[in-house]
Parts: sequence; C-alpha cells; structure tokens
Amino acid sequence: MMSFILYGVLNTLFIVLISPLFMSLIKKVKAYSQGRRGPPLLQSYYTLLKLLKKERVYSETSSSITRVTPYLSIAVMLIACLFVPVVFIPEHPVGMGNVILFLYLLALAKFFTALSGLDAGSTFGGMGSSREMSISAIVEPITIMAFAALAFTLGTTNLFDMFEVTSFATDPVLILAIVPLIIALITETSRIPVDNPETHLELTMVHEAMILEYSGSDLALIELSHAIKQTLLVAVVVNLLVPWGLSAEVSLIAIAVSMLLFFMKAAIFSVCIGIFESSIAKMRLFNLPNFFAIGFLFSILTIMLKVFK
Amino acid sequence: MMLQETAQGAIGVLLVLITMTGAIIVARKDLRAILFTYQLQSFFLASMAFTFYIFEKSDMMLFLAILTIVSKVLFIPYVIKRVQKKINIPRDLTFHYLSPTKAIFVTIILIFIVHVSLSATMRVLSPSRFIYLGEVLGVSLALMGMLVTFTRGKVMTKILGYLMMENGVLLFSFFVTEIPFIIEVLAMIDLLMIVLLASILALGMDIGVEEFQGRLHPFNRKKNGHNGGDNGNGQNGKGHDVRGNANQVSPAHATDKTKEVITR
Repeated sequence: MMSFILYGVLNTLFIVLISPLFMSLIKKVKAYSQGRRGPPLLQSYYTLLKLLKKERVYSETSSSITRVTPYLSIAVMLIACLFVPVVFIPEHPVGMGNVILFLYLLALAKFFTALSGLDAGSTFGGMGSSREMSISAIVEPITIMAFAALAFTLGTTNLFDMFEVTSFATDPVLILAIVPLIIALITETSRIPVDNPETHLELTMVHEAMILEYSGSDLALIELSHAIKQTLLVAVVVNLLVPWGLSAEVSLIAIAVSMLLFFMKAAIFSVCIGIFESSIAKMRLFNLPNFFAIGFLFSILTIMLKVFK
Repeated sequence: MMLQETAQGAIGVLLVLITMTGAIIVARKDLRAILFTYQLQSFFLASMAFTFYIFEKSDMMLFLAILTIVSKVLFIPYVIKRVQKKINIPRDLTFHYLSPTKAIFVTIILIFIVHVSLSATMRVLSPSRFIYLGEVLGVSLALMGMLVTFTRGKVMTKILGYLMMENGVLLFSFFVTEIPFIIEVLAMIDLLMIVLLASILALGMDIGVEEFQGRLHPFNRKKNGHNGGDNGNGQNGKGHDVRGNANQVSPAHATDKTKEVITR
C-alpha cells in the first residue's frame, strides 16, 4: 500500500510537471520545419503561470457548469494519472489501472468540456461542442476497439499488467494494435489531421472553439488538463511500443532511470508528432470517417490475427 | 528451437506489416502514396523471402528476394512513376460501387470469409497455425487487390490493385508450397508486360481535362484543314485565315467542342 501511495504522488507530480513541456516541444518542431525559431521550450509554463494570475471572466448566460468544468477536468486527469504508470509499476488496488475506467474518465472530462462550450451561449462554443461530439461519436468505437484489441493481445484489461507483459518481439500483432491507438491519440488530443490546436478560425477549430469563452486560471486548468491527457495517451503508446525501462522495483535508481527513459521516449514521440503535423494538412470533416476506418480495420485485424493463432 | 522462434517472430512482424500496407492501399486516394505503399509492401515481401532463405537455406528464396527487389521495388514503380508524371493526376477520386471507407469494411469481411473458408481445408493441411495465418493473409491480400481493381476509377490505381493481387499470390505461395522459380520468373515477365501495356493505355485514359483539351486542338485543326468547309464559326474557311495562318480555334469554342466530345 505504501508503494502505491509513493507511486501516486510521484507519478502524478511527474506527469503534471512534464506535460506542458511536450506541448512546447511539438510547437518548436513545427516552427523549425516552417523555418522559424518558434517559442522557447518553457513557453507553455510561462503561459500557464501568466494565466493563473489573470482574472476570470464569465458570460452572463453561463451557469455553474462553466465554473465547475475546469476543476472537474483537472481532477479527472489527476485521477487518470494514477492509471498510467511511468515511474514504476506498483502493487495496485483492485480496479486501479482498468482500461475501461480510464477511457470513461477521459470521456467524462470531454463531456463536461462540451457542455461548457454550450453553456456559455456563444455561437462558437456551440459549434465547437457540436463538432467535438460528432467526432467523438465516430472515434469512441474505434478507441474502444483499439483498447479491446490490446486487451485481447495482452490478455488483460489492466494497464499496469499490460505494461508488464508487453513486448512486440514476442507478439508482432501488437504493432497492428498500436496504429488505432495512435489514431485515437491524435483525435483525443485534437491534433492534425483531425483538428488544428493552433487555429482560431471559425471554419476549422473544434477543441479551441469549446474553450474560447474561458479565461484566466480556468483557461490555465483546461490547458493543463489537455496537456496531461496528451502525456497520458503518449505514455500508453510508448510504454506498449517501447516497453523497456519501466521498472517494477521501488528504488531511487530504478525510479530515476524509469523517469529519464520515459522522458526521452515521450520527447522522441512528441518530435515525431511535430514532424507528422508539419508534413500533413488538416483533413476535411467529412474525410475523417475514412481516417478512423483505418484504425477500426487494424483493431479488428488485431483481434482476428489473435483468433487465427 | 530458438532459431525457429526468431524466424517465426521476424516473419510474423513482416506479415503484419504487409497486411498494414494492404489496408493502406485500400484506404488511400493519393496515387503517389499508394505507389509508395506498394513499394514498401514489395520490400516487405522480399524481406520475407530473404528471411526464409536465412533460416531454410533455400537458394530459390534468395533469387526470389532479388527478383522481387529488382522488379517490384525498383523497376515497376519507376515505370508507373514516369506515367504518373505524364498523366498529372495526383489523386484518384472516382470510385465504383464502394468508397474507400466502405471498402475498408468490406476488407474486414473478406478476411473473415477467407478465414472461415480456408479453416476447413488448410487448417488440417497446414503443419502449424502460423503457416495457416500466412495462407489466410496471402489470399486476403489478393482479394484486397481485387477490391482495389474494381472499386477504383483510375487505371493507375487499377494497375496497382492488380499488382497487389500478385503480391498476395506470392505471399500465399511462400506458405503453401514453393512455386518453381521458373514459373515465378515467367509470372514476373507477364507482370512487367501488363504494367507496361496498361501504363501506355493509362496515358490515354487517365489524362486530365486540360491535357485532353490540348490534344483536341490538333484534331480540330486537322479536321478543319481537310474538310475545307464550315470551320465551326459559320465561316467557309479553307483551313487558313486572311493572313495565311492556320485556323486557330478560339478558347471558348475549344471548350464547347471539348464538352461536346466528352458528352458524346
């Protein structure tokens, strides 16, 4: 139990601290690919600190949903941090690390963000929520299928156990299962080609439209929870794709090595996201089902290949 | 035993990658991306043949790997790339019967049907489940190629679908039986001929409207020059204007003519 408490504190703190850095890193890579210097790597931290000091402004029509959502969003993400081990794999209580619960936690945060978009009474918020929910309605089955394929391949629905047993050297089918996971990551974190996190154009924005009415510390919390969500999903992918380095042992050296290796793996993955985003344009909304269908196909294929074996 | 497990692991990874490339070819519309994916798929097939050579010491597999690299990774994509440059159509947006999204779902059904159909016979004949998996994916890849061939509008994509079918047959042959090398070479020569002929046909069929319009000009000039009658402008020209220059069809008129020909 003590090891789990230690894990809870370390894992959550580590993820919260490094998450904004990966957002900046992606921006930096994209800037370099466009021939610009881009913002400094610590820019996301400066922005969060600035926003935390600023005043919050609410729309006259908004209800308590708008006020509650940032806190709920960050609380949900902090709980989700307990589900994805990156510092070490502890002895976990029953239910902790369950992949279905993890997905529902992410969905809960998304649901309240969409509600808050509608709550402000602005046309942009409503439009963003509508788009986000339309995309979610298509991508949720693919995300569930991706995790189901993963559970089928690794024989468990627990993320702690998955990270312990994973290795595509012994099971190449895992490569297939990773593809829909990456598609789910791109969609859930509102990245190109599904959404463009840097745009505020009426025609293209999805996630940004929902949070357009937020300001000050509320916006900081929403942005931070978005960054944490991205790090958590990246952690799931990299820990399955490159499973080496995550220790089950509780010692200072083992934890330091795990943290360092995870940081490096996630940084490389973020650089890959940046390069990918620079080389591809945002898809039209009606082309997205085709993109998601590839993820669905790979999930089904993963399950089929396991059945054939 | 360890060696066999390593070989199975390597071939398993290649099988998964080949299936992935097949699915990407079914889903993509960008012709260059489809061609590159086909190149990758052929490379994975060659790698698989090379892996078989390393672990089984079969010279035929080495020759097959070299033949696949030379023909399917280098030569055929080079020819198709040249034709693509000439026809200047970057994307295939015409579909018959199925859109790519629907084709992906049909692919899932196809793989399932192949699995069910082969399970009665091949599962009994195959010495291991791993070999059975290779057979199912080989037949599925051939059917996926067939799906691309008859659901896509552009000849270039049809050719690539046909080539994918051949890759599927090759994959199937890796696991079922060793096709004599001479038959494989003959099949390859057939393939080259078909690609060359189909590429020549594609030059005429997959041409863009602008190029088509450009090609129509000499046709009109020739027609006007020989007929010596009405040149289409209501004038009784003889193929030359008052300055003695050859009649040029005005752009507006050319467009009407183009439309007329396309309608016909």
